[in-house]
Amino acid sequence: MAEIRLDNLTKRWGDFVGVDNQSLHIRDREFLVLLGPSGCGKTTTMRMIAGLEEPTAGEIRIGDRLVNDDLPKDRDVAMVFQNYGLYPHMTIFENIAYPLRVRGVAKSDIRPRVEKAAEQVELTEFLDRKPKALSGGQRQRVALARAIVRTPKVFLMDEPLSNLDAKLRVTMRAELKHLSRELQITTVYVTHDQIEAMTLADRVAVMKHGVIQQLGTPDEIYNDPANLFVAGFIGSPAMNLIDGSVKDGMFVTTGGTRLVKIDAQDRDAAILGVRADDMQVHEAGQGDIDVKIYAFENTGESTLLTVQWGRQRVIARGDRHLRKDQNDVVGISLNEDHLYLFDPETENRIRI
Amino acid sequence: MRDNTLKYLLVLPAVVVVFATAIWPLIEAARLSFTVGRLNRPGSLDQYLGWENYAWAFLEEPAFWNSVWVTAVYTTLTVGLTTILALGLALLLAPGGRLRSSAQTLLILPFAMSPALIGVSFRFMFNPEFGLFDAFFGVLIPPLADVSWLADPTLAFAVVVMADVWGWIPFLTLVLIGGLASVPRDTIEAAQVDGASGWRVFRDVTLPQLGPVLAVVIILKSIFSLKTFDQVFMLTNGGPGTATQTLSHYIYFNGMKYGQIGYSAAVAWLMVIPMIFLTYAYAKFVFRKG
Repeated sequence: MAEIRLDNLTKRWGDFVGVDNQSLHIRDREFLVLLGPSGCGKTTTMRMIAGLEEPTAGEIRIGDRLVNDDLPKDRDVAMVFQNYGLYPHMTIFENIAYPLRVRGVAKSDIRPRVEKAAEQVELTEFLDRKPKALSGGQRQRVALARAIVRTPKVFLMDEPLSNLDAKLRVTMRAELKHLSRELQITTVYVTHDQIEAMTLADRVAVMKHGVIQQLGTPDEIYNDPANLFVAGFIGSPAMNLIDGSVKDGMFVTTGGTRLVKIDAQDRDAAILGVRADDMQVHEAGQGDIDVKIYAFENTGESTLLTVQWGRQRVIARGDRHLRKDQNDVVGISLNEDHLYLFDPETENRIRI
Repeated sequence: MRDNTLKYLLVLPAVVVVFATAIWPLIEAARLSFTVGRLNRPGSLDQYLGWENYAWAFLEEPAFWNSVWVTAVYTTLTVGLTTILALGLALLLAPGGRLRSSAQTLLILPFAMSPALIGVSFRFMFNPEFGLFDAFFGVLIPPLADVSWLADPTLAFAVVVMADVWGWIPFLTLVLIGGLASVPRDTIEAAQVDGASGWRVFRDVTLPQLGPVLAVVIILKSIFSLKTFDQVFMLTNGGPGTATQTLSHYIYFNGMKYGQIGYSAAVAWLMVIPMIFLTYAYAKFVFRKG
């Protein structure tokens, strides 16, 4: 059990900057998710913690120990790989036992520990099989069992659920959360899936172009995004971002519609962010403005209305019983308490 | 024309060629091995002799057993050395290895040389008067400068083995680089994180996954080592004495030099037997399912 401290960590390959001078303090027993699109440096950051990638500059500490020059085997971490990284020529038992065997754990100790780990991930009946004979979800469990069979200082998980089908991913996500709460071991988890990040994390670090854009709890990331990128990345459907300006305490769209009251200084260019859930759908004439429906989607648990707003399209979430059709006109009003304003130049949030 | 008929017609030319150049000679050689078969005796190619040629090889010819022994030692040494050295080189040259991959291009050169040419050039290089090695040793290790490499039975054997290993390393290295590239990186990194040292990662994870490729390499090299002829012919011509006389060379000598076609056909057939086993094993590995 240990905290992880990254100080001014940088990774470059020639001119390409993978991770750009980032510092991050991961607390003891924390579940930290590195979230971002592919190529944002999240996996590179994790691989540097594991020792599989050498930092160009900066320091990595696990516990009190500077580990920059330690080989992966000496860092006392366990890792779950995206493609599981199971040893195809070994049985499931041998796979799970490998970290113990290679670290010189007594033979008599290995069996009970492997069996306990297998039990925790519900794999007991497959111990004699080879990885090839297992399904994707089962292989994922083997990789997990191999990680938890000893008690490392740190768990590292590199997109562990991304190779599973959608349904299995939801199940495994819950199991992973359950397991991590039980084990209470510092975990770094890499994903590009914002739902995984929201559901699993104690804190999320959102990354882009090798830079951490925002570090915060899932609540903070969702309700208080630091900039345009975080706002657009988190949430499904993504936050609506509407181009316009602020004039006399009103947000005016580029098309000239005076949309909503906003408590900000006048400015020529601004982007208004509003989530689908913060837009109420009414009958025509009863909202702030009337708009035409571009597409109406019923997802079962709610309805999604894509509406045409001048040149832009915006998504609003409606009641699950709402039934409308393409080209119908509805009224829309915006929840004034949950509006976000961004500077289109710097992409930073303008605090209201 | 029906597809089925066409299918067989298209394969037919290849079958005819293989039959004419491989199967028929094998059958004819089998027939000859039961005849007196002397080139200088008219009619003897049809003169039935029973198993006597085989009996002669087994019971009366120490030279036969000598060439079996030479071939066995030669095969063991060349297969072992080439495989181990090629594996070492492949580990250095593979993606993520320690040497730049431009060296891979350079590496293929020895394999581009014909074995006969390798034989000739090694003979010159080991010449005690004007050879390249002689010059080297003259400067570096003077006591070795005057050694007549190809005149001493053991040294000559070592030189033949060396020439063969040198010529074959590139090809085996390239095949093994390919094999190493197909070992999933994940598994190697997983082992590193699990706590394995470099050597244990290699022993526990890389090597077992390289197994099938390694098996193909060893079988293939064994086949080529067993039938080695051209290098021996050019480098030592089997000598000094019969110290480097491989089976192929022995067969050639008896058949072509002494005109004992029947006898050499019998020995050739004795050599076919291990070849069939090796070829079968090779086919099994290469055309393995999954």
